[in-house]
Formats: sequence, C-alpha cells, structure tokens
Amino acid sequence: MAEPLIVGTQSAESLTGSLLAPIHRRPGRVWWSLFFLTLGGTGLFVAAILVTLTRGIGAWGNNVPVAWAFGIIDFVWWIGFGHAGTLISAILVLFQQKWRASVNRFAEAMTLFAVMQAGLFPLLHLGRPWVFYWLIPYPSTMRVWPQFRSSLPWDVVAITTYFVVSLLFWYLGLLPDLASARDRATTRARQFWYGLFSLGWTGSARHWHHWRTGYLLLAGLATPLVLSVHTIVSFDFAIAQVPGWHSTIFPPYFVAGAIFSGLALVLTLLLPVRGPLGLGHVITERHVDILCKLMLATGMMVSYGYLQEHFFAWYSGDETELAAYAFQRSGEWAWLFRFQMLSNVLLPHLFWFSWARKNLAVVWLTSLAVDLGMWVERFTIIVPSLARDFLPSSWAHYAPTWVDLSLLGGSMCFFGFLFLLFLRFIPPVPISEVKELHHELSRAAGKGA
Amino acid sequence: MRYWVVGEFGSGDEVKRALGRLRELGYAKETLDVFSPYPVDGVDALLELRPSPVRLFALGAGLAGAVFGYTVQWWCNAVDWPLNVGNRPPHAAPAFVPITFESMVLFASLAIFLGLMGLFRFPRPHHPLFELESFRSASTGGFWVSVTLEDAARTESVLEHLRALEARTASVVEETA
Repeated sequence: MAEPLIVGTQSAESLTGSLLAPIHRRPGRVWWSLFFLTLGGTGLFVAAILVTLTRGIGAWGNNVPVAWAFGIIDFVWWIGFGHAGTLISAILVLFQQKWRASVNRFAEAMTLFAVMQAGLFPLLHLGRPWVFYWLIPYPSTMRVWPQFRSSLPWDVVAITTYFVVSLLFWYLGLLPDLASARDRATTRARQFWYGLFSLGWTGSARHWHHWRTGYLLLAGLATPLVLSVHTIVSFDFAIAQVPGWHSTIFPPYFVAGAIFSGLALVLTLLLPVRGPLGLGHVITERHVDILCKLMLATGMMVSYGYLQEHFFAWYSGDETELAAYAFQRSGEWAWLFRFQMLSNVLLPHLFWFSWARKNLAVVWLTSLAVDLGMWVERFTIIVPSLARDFLPSSWAHYAPTWVDLSLLGGSMCFFGFLFLLFLRFIPPVPISEVKELHHELSRAAGKGA
Repeated sequence: MRYWVVGEFGSGDEVKRALGRLRELGYAKETLDVFSPYPVDGVDALLELRPSPVRLFALGAGLAGAVFGYTVQWWCNAVDWPLNVGNRPPHAAPAFVPITFESMVLFASLAIFLGLMGLFRFPRPHHPLFELESFRSASTGGFWVSVTLEDAARTESVLEHLRALEARTASVVEETA
C-alpha cells in the first residue's frame, strides 16, 4: 500500500485553514534573514547589470572565439528549470495525475521566477540591450525588419510566450485560492488586496464550468509549448555549424535535460520549506518519492543524450567533431565534464533504491548536485566547443570575470528573493484542488469500506 | 431590484439533491446557481450548462495567431525587405515554423484568459452576496444554492423551500443599484 497523498483526518475547512496558515503567520527570523540575504544579492545583481550596461559586455570574460559564455549558459540553465513546473502542472493535468495537486502551485511559481531570470541574460548579451525592441517587428523609421531566419527572434517570441502563458495559467489557477484568502482575511488590508486580486471570484457553478474548460485548454496549450520552447533554445546551437553543436539529438536531449534540472530544483526548494510552512500533510513522502522516480527517468534520458552526442561524433568520422568531443572529455575543462557525469549520470541511479528516495537528506543533496551538474552541462556544451573550433590559430582560453560570477550569483539571489515573497503572500499549495482531491479520496475510501 | 435567496448546505451531494428538487418545483435553470469551494461534479448537468464557448475562442484565436505570425515573417523577410544571407531563400518556410507556432499558442492563451474574464464579467471585486457575512464559507468549505428573483413577494416561498430542503441557513440579499 502506497503512502497517502493527504495525511491525517482532514475536512475542507481544516485544509483551508492549514494551507492558508503560511500567509497568515508572521514571518520568523529565518525568513527575515533569508530575505535580507537575497535582497543584498539582488543588489549585487543590479550592480553587475549596471556595469554591463555602462561598460558593455567587455566587462564579461567573453572573447573571440568564445563569444557565448556565461550569458547563454545562465540563460539555458534558468529557462530549463522552468520546464519541470510546466510539466508538473500542465502535462499531469492532462494525464489526470492526482498527486500533482499539492506541488503544482509551487512548481509554477518556480517556472515564472526562473523564466524572469532567464529572459534577462539574452537581453544583456545583446551588447546594446537598450535597443532590444529592434527584435520586435514594428514599422520603424529605419525600415529595417528583424531577421526571422536567425534564432534570436525565435528566442524572443518563445520566451515571451512562455512567460505570458505560464503567468496566465498560474493566475487562473490562483483565483479560487485568492478568494479563500480574501474570505479568511483577518485584517482590512488583506481583505482589500486579496479581494482585488481575486477579481470577485464567487465560486459560482457557471464560473467553475468555464474555468475548468479554460484551465484544461491552457494546460493543453502549455504542454506542446514547453517542448517547443526548449527545442527552440536548442536550435540556437543545433542550427549553427560549430563542432559539438551541430546535432539533431539536441532538441529532445535539451528538453529532457530541462525537465531533469527542473525536477531537481523543485525538490531542492520543496524539502526545506515543507516542514516550516506546515505543509507536511499535503506534500507527503509519496510526492517526494514520485518526483525522485521522475528524476531518475529524465536523468536516464539525459544520459542517453550524452551517449548519442559522443557516439555520433565518432560515427561521423568528422575530424573537428571528434576533436571537439575529445576536448570536452580530456581538455582543460575535463574536470567539469567528470563532475557532470557524476552528478547527472551516476547520482540519479541512487533513486532505484527506496531507502534513497525515503532519505530526505540524500534526496536533497542529490537534487542539489543535479542543479549544479546541469549548469556544468551547459558550460561543457558551450565553452569548449567555441574555444576549440575549426581554426587552431584562433583557439583561446576562456575565464569568467567577477561580473559574470556576480550575474550568476545575483540572479540566484533575485530568484530566492521572489520566492520568499511568494511563500509570504500567496498560498503555496492550490487549496481548491487539494480540497477536491480530498473529497474524491474520502469518497473512494467510503465506497471501499 | 434583484433578490438573491441563498441557502447553505453541508456537502456537494446535498446541494445536488436540493438543486434537483428546486428544478422539480419549477424554478427556471437561469435563476438557479451553486457556489462551492471546488467544482461539484454533476451540477453542470442539473443546470443544463452548455459546453463552454472558451473552446471556440481558443480555436479562432489560435488559427488567427498562426496566420498572423507567418504573414509577418513572410512579409518582412520575403516581400518588404528581402535580404540575401548566404544565398538562402527569403521565403524560408522551415525557419518560420517556430514563431508561427509560438504566436498560435500566445494568441490562443490570451483569448482563453480574456474570454473567461468576459464570461465572468471580471473584474468585479464586489458582488451583492459578499454583503452576507456567512457567505464567506463559499470559498472555504460551504456549499450554497441561490435563487435569483425580481419579485420581493416571492422570496418568502423560496426561503420556505430551502428550509424544507434542510438548508443549514437561508437568507435573502437585496441587490442595490
């Protein structure tokens, strides 16, 4: 018998109370310390962006031939994190997986915040970010249109669409819970703000009727969207002729990698907050167990991608292609490649064993390793390929500058900052869905008895 | 002037029973509504709700978005300012696929969301029923049935019906303005 999805004897009222508790409680010392820590980090992020804007991307470690480095690594890393959120919330809606109800709000918030970080990096990488709107086809006095045969405008449309659709999907799911927060509000200010953002939700059967259709349709649209977005990200590389990038395995391999890293981040964020927020009864060990199994599955897809890349380099017999992968395996960044193999290929295999899936410390550390390992993966795809391309005379060493590192660390802090605000003001678990699930589970139990 | 006669029940099943009885008593489906913290299965059929038009909005807007996305790319790069890059064709259909797909999804999603807002007549932060303090339970754990009337004289008989159906509470809310 599997562990329950909802622990203990609950009622609709008790669930509402316990799930609204995180936003009613006064934040503790830990919350405030983390808040100021991430706020400081966000300050560093802003400073690094200002340096980039005033001095240009010469302040980064980018050079010729390594014209793409941290900017694009961070972009691919961040946008990948978002994808597990959409997978959990949209794809599992379509498959009617009941367990998703407890974790989807959390995962969707992660998606939104990760996409916000992701979008900044290609903008900054433009060189002159303040004229980013040249990428939008509008009738300017210059009479110049964007070049749609290039992957940069694809990225713009893909990221914008992904952000907008994720936001709409998230907000639509949030409406009934904002109404609950409004109706349980203890202060006038809370009543006002939750009342404003719940837009006047009453829970009318007619509204639920349209809401359900709309929610399902948005899920149906988000599903191919998430696959397309990371496919388009992989096209940035796959449509280039650089050895190590020019590969047809990239779209599915990137999508699997994105979902793999996103699942790891869900676990990394979920495990530490589950206890302090008192969500242990709806985010149970069974949820952690399922997420671990999904990580194992996507991890093996990623391993297959690695295998294919190196196999095809060998099978092509192409000298530069072979050299690029040999450099990845044994060149100056070989230690990163080894770390990537350890964290992304070997460690997930722990999850074959149920003791590992039950041991929260093991789960947390493994997901943290995967989070890092996936950043390293993007590094070993991007930098070695560029540093050693066709022409040996132009080979160059690459090293990041403090601005690169601050942008990476700063974006993590900004993400954490947004996440802390989310935990403070928005019910982190979809209340109406958990109540519906609870109703169905108790009905099923009643029938069985 | 409109009157909302509402009764609170303990569960989705009780609401469905009450709704079925009210239909038998001859109340028109347009005057009835249910308020609940999560969708109650089977209420849609009792209220004879038609499939939501949101599906059509999504289809229409999605197709329009795809056509729009493709046309913009084709017109910019193949008609208005064809630019020869590496002798690739200016009308490069495969290269136009990603943006065409993305704009389809974007348009359809916006249509779904805005369509829902239109159907709900949102934003509408105030609703006459919010005047009723106990109605707060509709979003947390209570199940409510409402009958909307234009005629003040008839509210009394509806209240009686609701009480006969064993509603926990039954009240009348007057819609002002």
